[in-house]
Order: sequence, then structure tokens, then C-alpha cells
Amino acid sequence: MAKLVLSSGGAVVDQCFLDDGRVTIGRGAGNRIVVDDPSVADMFAVISVVGHDYILELVDARQSVAVNGTPTKRRILQHNDVVELGAFHLRYVDTKASSEIDLERTMIISGLALDPDRPIVPDAGDATQDLHIPSNRETKTRFPSGRVRWVRGPRYGETKLLDRVVATFGTPGKAVAVVTRRPKGYYVTYVEGDAFPRVNGDSIGREPRHLHTGDVISVADEDLEFELMT
Amino acid sequence: MPYDFLEVALLTDVGNVRQYNEDSIIADPGLGILALADGMGGHRAGEVASRMATETLVAGLRAAAERFRANGHQHAPLLAITESINRANRAIFEAGRLDSRYRGMGTTMAAAVFHDNRVALAHVGDSRIYRVRDGKLALLTRDDSLLRDQVELGVISAAEASQSHNRSLVTRALGIEDRVAAHLADEAAVPGDVYLLCSDGLNDCVEDADIELIVSALAANLPLAATHLVQAAKDNGGYDNVSVILAKVKASFPVSGAGWLTRFRAWLARVLGP
Repeated sequence: MAKLVLSSGGAVVDQCFLDDGRVTIGRGAGNRIVVDDPSVADMFAVISVVGHDYILELVDARQSVAVNGTPTKRRILQHNDVVELGAFHLRYVDTKASSEIDLERTMIISGLALDPDRPIVPDAGDATQDLHIPSNRETKTRFPSGRVRWVRGPRYGETKLLDRVVATFGTPGKAVAVVTRRPKGYYVTYVEGDAFPRVNGDSIGREPRHLHTGDVISVADEDLEFELMT
Repeated sequence: MPYDFLEVALLTDVGNVRQYNEDSIIADPGLGILALADGMGGHRAGEVASRMATETLVAGLRAAAERFRANGHQHAPLLAITESINRANRAIFEAGRLDSRYRGMGTTMAAAVFHDNRVALAHVGDSRIYRVRDGKLALLTRDDSLLRDQVELGVISAAEASQSHNRSLVTRALGIEDRVAAHLADEAAVPGDVYLLCSDGLNDCVEDADIELIVSALAANLPLAATHLVQAAKDNGGYDNVSVILAKVKASFPVSGAGWLTRFRAWLARVLGP
């Protein structure tokens, strides 16, 4: 359940539970939320609902409104967002936000496209889609940063920043090791080859080995010195 | 088909937050069958639904493959998948109707059947199938999810999608109605290809670019690639159960007797006589 709370000078003026309908906001008396402020247009904004999303949109696309201090034309409302409307504040409260895990439960819902329009027969053979929806929420995890420097082998003297989740070293088909970036540091693990990689001369076997600054990884004909930067 | 044309690694993990694992995964590398399901429903019914889905599907596909081997009927993997998914759907729907503990349970599904240098793909819901070929990741399925619909219809932009609360709302699933339409596709499969079936616990937490990097960098060690994918999802939050099935095509796999060389030899034998 989500609701909107309109306040002015700290006092609640109006509140409204959001369900499946649209909510209109403006100075005009016909709006669901009436904001009696000269800077607010008669029909100023609309909040529509799609699934669990409440989407705020301005009626006049040339205008913008401050949400949490940032000029905005459209926004998927997030728990505790504050929309500034002249002397008024409109706060969006998502009462489910405190139990985020439940919200994440997979549920079934009707699609936006009408069912009769959706293919029942096999889809066209080429199923590859270009449309890229970025993964997720911003992750709160912090990852360290580190690098390796070649101290033996054909790439002697070169350095490589370890800024991705994995980086492989060695010769594919012969001997390869992977360095993995994790929240608590970097690890080196055997990938393939007749001989296990070595750290400071010791074979690491098949288990991941936590790396420390100054450690030297040997794989194939390369030696790499690891450095943790942060 | 050679028996060991396919190398498979599979892994499922409850994640960092959930109490139960409602995903289910099964693979039969010898028959080239992969199945993954992500269940939903209260009181652990999701576990029941996803297991019914993978077990029913794989049993049906195994039976079809064995019929084919026994009498050489034309093997139609897409038909076998469709029939098996329908059977699984009805079984889950009936269980939900008859037993109040299972009311409303359902499951997503992603499945692949390798056959004659091709791979038949099926999915329902937001479980995905990717392919890595020549180091490039391609998504071969289209999520049945409200978020996807929103972006596709322009209700929100792809960039806004990370702000959406609709990530876990699927628009199609097994067990919800008395029938279900699976999305089907059939693609050429070539040696070196790696196919990835995953539940949304992976792609919700790990960007495509990182999935691509992990699978292509570690394709030589498939179990290690699987643990890295699951670990990356958990390192990025691990809010949901996370499951992966990786399958690498090691050699071409024409149907026995139907390869061009066999046909050519047979033709040559006819022409040249005994």
C-alpha cells in the first residue's frame, strides 16, 4: 500500500491512498489532490499506476518539478520521495518499503499487451532481442580496486588494472588462472592446464587463494605481482 | 548423436536473503536436455511447482528421445517440449486446484533440447536463456515480465527500469491457468557455443557485460564458470535464489545416419554397386 501526504509548513493538509486508479494533482478543484498555490497549474501532474510502480508525470512536458530537490519531468516514485509544489510538499510513502524482501517475491500479473495480441504459436525463429534492460537496483556493495604487474614473461613491466569481476592470465589451452574481484578482496583460482598456478612459489591446487599486496602469481611462463590499491 | 557432445555444469543457491530455494534445475547431458524453473507461491509451494515443472518436462523429453532412438521416428523436439510443458502446466494447475496448500502456485520455466546440430529453446516467465558465441553474449529469450512490457511500450525508458518496482512481476507462468503458451525457438548450435539458462536471481544482480566476461573467460572450466556466476550474484546482493545451467557444445552432433558423409557414402555404394 502506498499513499501521498500533502503538507504545508509541517502540517498535513491532505492524504490519499494510491490504489489502482490515477491521481491528478493541480490547483483546480477537480483534482484528486488540490494544491492551492499560485505556482501550480490547474492541471499540473498525474500519477498513474503500473504494477507496483507509481509514475509521476507532468501534464505540461515543458515544465519541471523538484523531486527531492532535483528538477524532474517524470519519475517512478520511490519511498519517501518529496515533490515540491510551491509552499506545499507532497510525500510519497510506500508502506511496503520497510519489508523490501516481500516486495521482491515473484508474482503473476497481467501483461500490458492484450493477450489476444500475443503469439500463442511458436515465436519467430530469431529470438535474439536487442532491447537491453539494465540489471537491477544500484548495488550497495563496495568492491576493492587492485592491479597486477608482470615481473616475468613476455609482458614484463606491463600493469593491468583489476577493475572487472574476473581477469584471466596465462595461455589458453595450456595453463590459465583467474583473478576474481570480490567485496572482501581478490582471489586467484586455477582454470585449466596440467600444472596448478603458484602463489609465492606454492601450488594453490583447485581452491581460490586470497591475494595480498606483494603476492607473486605464477601461471604458464608469467609471473605477476599483485597490489591492493584500496 | 555422440554421447558426450555436450558438457554441462549446473548450480543453484538459496542466495543471501531467502529462507528457501524455490528454483529447480535438471540436466541430462547425454540426451542434450536442460530444464530450469523458478517457482512462486506461499508456504514453500513454489518449491513444489518448480520441481513438478522440471521433473515432468525432463521425463517427457527423455521418453520422446528414447522413442526416437528405439524406432527412428522423426524427432520433433519442439513438439515434445510443447507437450511436456502442457503436461507440467496441467499437473501444477490441478495440484493447486485440489490442494489448498498449493493454491495459486506457479513457476517460470526455461528449457533447451540439443538435437541434430540445433537447439530447441522454450521459456515461460522471466527465466532466461543466453548464448555466448565467439565471446559475445546474446539473450535468446524475451521475458514475460511487466517491466519488459513497460519498457517495450515506452511507459518507462530502459534507463528508468532500475528504478522500477516491477522487476519480479511476471506476466506468464506454468500452473496459473489450465493452459499455457510457451515461447519456442530453434537455433543452430555450433561447437564452442556456451548456453546459459538462469533464474532472474542471476540477471537481476549481474550485468550482462559481467555474465559475458565470466562465461567467455572461464568456458574452459564450466563448473568454475557456474560458481563464479552464482558468486557474482551473491556478491551483488543475492536477494533471490540464483540458479544457472551452463552447456558447452564440444563437438558437432548430427543425428546418426543423417550426416552428409553417411548419405554420400550410401549414395556412392548404390552408384558403384556391390
